[in-house]
Amino acid sequence: MPRSPTPDLPLSGADCFLRAFDSEVRRTAGASHLAQLVLRLGPGFDAGAFAKLLAEVAEVQPILRAPIGRPWGILPPVYRIGKASEAAPPRVEIRDAPRQALDSGGAPPLFAERLNERVDARRGQLVRFDVVRYEAGTAGSDLALTWFHPLFDGSGSERFLRWLDEVARGARAATDLPPSAERPVRADARTRGEQAMRWRGRMHGFGARAPRSLAGPLARTPQRLEVEVTSFSREDTARIVDRARKQAGFLTPMLFYLAASIRAHHAVYQLRGTDPQSFVVPLPVNLRTKGSGGDLFGTHVSLLWFQVFPDACADLDALLTELKAQRLASIKEGMVEAGSAAMDYARWLPQRFYAGMARREFAGELCSFFFGFTDEFLAGMDTFLGAPILNGFHSPSVPPSPGSATIFSIREGRLNATHVRQAGVFSGFELVRFQQRLRADLVGEDA
Amino acid sequence: MRNSDGMEWTREALTERVYRILREDLLSVGDEFTPTSSLIDAGLDSLAVTQLLLAIEESTGVWVDESLLTEETLASAESLAACVHAQIAHA
Repeated sequence: MPRSPTPDLPLSGADCFLRAFDSEVRRTAGASHLAQLVLRLGPGFDAGAFAKLLAEVAEVQPILRAPIGRPWGILPPVYRIGKASEAAPPRVEIRDAPRQALDSGGAPPLFAERLNERVDARRGQLVRFDVVRYEAGTAGSDLALTWFHPLFDGSGSERFLRWLDEVARGARAATDLPPSAERPVRADARTRGEQAMRWRGRMHGFGARAPRSLAGPLARTPQRLEVEVTSFSREDTARIVDRARKQAGFLTPMLFYLAASIRAHHAVYQLRGTDPQSFVVPLPVNLRTKGSGGDLFGTHVSLLWFQVFPDACADLDALLTELKAQRLASIKEGMVEAGSAAMDYARWLPQRFYAGMARREFAGELCSFFFGFTDEFLAGMDTFLGAPILNGFHSPSVPPSPGSATIFSIREGRLNATHVRQAGVFSGFELVRFQQRLRADLVGEDA
Repeated sequence: MRNSDGMEWTREALTERVYRILREDLLSVGDEFTPTSSLIDAGLDSLAVTQLLLAIEESTGVWVDESLLTEETLASAESLAACVHAQIAHA
């Protein structure tokens, strides 16, 4: 009896939205729109066994290497699940380094280089792992998961690692994915169309005082990303978390980190004596219900967009008040749903439509900078494949313009502030000023 | 403040309303979820809370000040309803 063909798996609107950014990055910077998660592991990680596990998993989860394409060249993009077996399995590259390299503190330079690479999603190049073993692993290992951004969002990448660990421990079969728990969409096509137009109107409104990023309007520049991670002490982190709760609200600490990031960027404009005109920043909103373990693959986020003017940046409290008001107003106006609806159209539209629209509205920019707050990193998970997790953080790529992204997460009581930037966007003095302002606002001390 | 039946919002009625919104519209919870269950453990996040406040405003006409939301008031549907009831009483 002939086997029926394996059905394709459609990309969601949010997946396609990110894929559109990939098109933009390819065109302007010669790279791909990738994201990365880094784990610092103690002794006990068997890289060889991990590579074997991943090969087995990729056999039964073909999405990990499924070519992405548009059927007939015009229909919405899909993962070609039936073609996955023709693609190479995800790569696991293992390198050795001396113990001294571990003492340097930051992640291996190799990991930042991976973010600058160009992958071919049409050939199923969606995910790879890099392992740097120190003293053959006896002193620990660093592990980077680098992926074509539509395959996972930040939360999904953590869920994927958690699930891999469960599979490795035999707690779950490789075929067994946790159930989906995305918030349901309750709107008909007409309503979704109206929502998308409302989102479009919001973007247009921002254009009246279009942002100007620190990288300046787009120039075609080869992508050269630098990644810097600042790990705060437990004492500082306790203070920061307390300030975030008190000043931004028990459930909205992300606004505190967003405000601090805006002010850190603003300090650089002040140093330069230039006018940012406004700060336009998207805040990712996770659409999964909290605590659910499902929805590993794909992008399950909407975006809430904020616009604040330089006058509002003079004082952290005043800026927080403005951000809180905008967040509430946006949710009341249904902008979370509107963002999702607008992204849904990305399934049908040419890839360059969204970046083109943003750059038209914002005088050549996409936004002021990118931002993320993912809260507890792999909460409650102490080991990965038997090795203790010493630290972990996210480091997404950022297009050369705006050329700057801040992302925050907390691992075992220590805040990790990751700053990803295009080389050359910040001078040495500017970087010092940026970091001083950020630390001062987070910890609550004079800059 | 009165509900759609013209009755005053009692604390019990508010608890039932908050519980139903959470259970039917906002959280993925099973039969084990009760008006005294922990909302944070049940997956309540910032977006769900704001959507809950909007639903409460729609039902009662009162916007609950977000600054009143603490670990204590968000402990359960019952404690949140008590917070809302106190705010309605002062409205």
